[in-house]
Amino acid sequence: MASLSTTSLTFKAPTTRASQVLRKASSIQSISFGRFQSSKSLRLQICCAAKAETVQKVSDIVKEQLALSADTALTAESKFSALGADSLDTVEIVMALEEKFNISVEEADAQNITTIQEAADLIEDLVQKKPAAEAA
Amino acid sequence: MAAPFTLRKIGVPPNSANLTEARRRVFDFFRASCRSIPTIMDIYNLQDVVAPSQLRFAISAQIRNNAHITDPKVIDLLLFKGMEELTDIVDHAKQRHHIIGQYVVGEGLVQNTGSKDQGKSDFLKNFYTSNYF
Repeated sequence: MASLSTTSLTFKAPTTRASQVLRKASSIQSISFGRFQSSKSLRLQICCAAKAETVQKVSDIVKEQLALSADTALTAESKFSALGADSLDTVEIVMALEEKFNISVEEADAQNITTIQEAADLIEDLVQKKPAAEAA
Repeated sequence: MAAPFTLRKIGVPPNSANLTEARRRVFDFFRASCRSIPTIMDIYNLQDVVAPSQLRFAISAQIRNNAHITDPKVIDLLLFKGMEELTDIVDHAKQRHHIIGQYVVGEGLVQNTGSKDQGKSDFLKNFYTSNYF
């Protein structure tokens, strides 16, 4: 008890992060808090562009699902309906993406997906949120 | 790993008012069944037999089979039967050979190439499908 008071006195003006370290037993909490902040600022820099490899993976899944030939040019802006997908195909593509990236897409989000770019953005978003939720 | 999906058994909901709501229910059913696929593969040990994408294709093929229907009540009934089938499968009330026979190997999904007669007779090939050919 005495030792605790001395440690609190030495860190007289702590940042909220350091005081969290003292109060909570695990320091993992604060580290994840810091990491979340840095990843959020990193996302602000990249803004609306998802990673190219994510877009590539999404394109592969779309090609497989719609049985397109391997050399069909798929840009990030191609709409699913333009590629010959009906609404059931779109839902199936979303389910295949869920399985591939191990995420869970809500129904409201799934309604808005019409192009490959939007799908990749949503996936990035969910993959970002998932480790933060698991660490908490 | 995303939170494991559990099939919640709700009672029979009231009839859908219009085609839009029926459509939404079809997609919800499809999503529920796709999310149950890992459980199904686990229960019936289908890991070496079939890939999840093939099962998804089988389910969507069955839905597409009835895609021409426009009456919401008929759609509701088909969904009810589909939901019943899915619940039976997830409850392990079926057996492995049922799943394989109905959804993996079948007419047009994965053709059984080791067939007995390679096909001399068109008459016999069409014999099971219909009387009139």
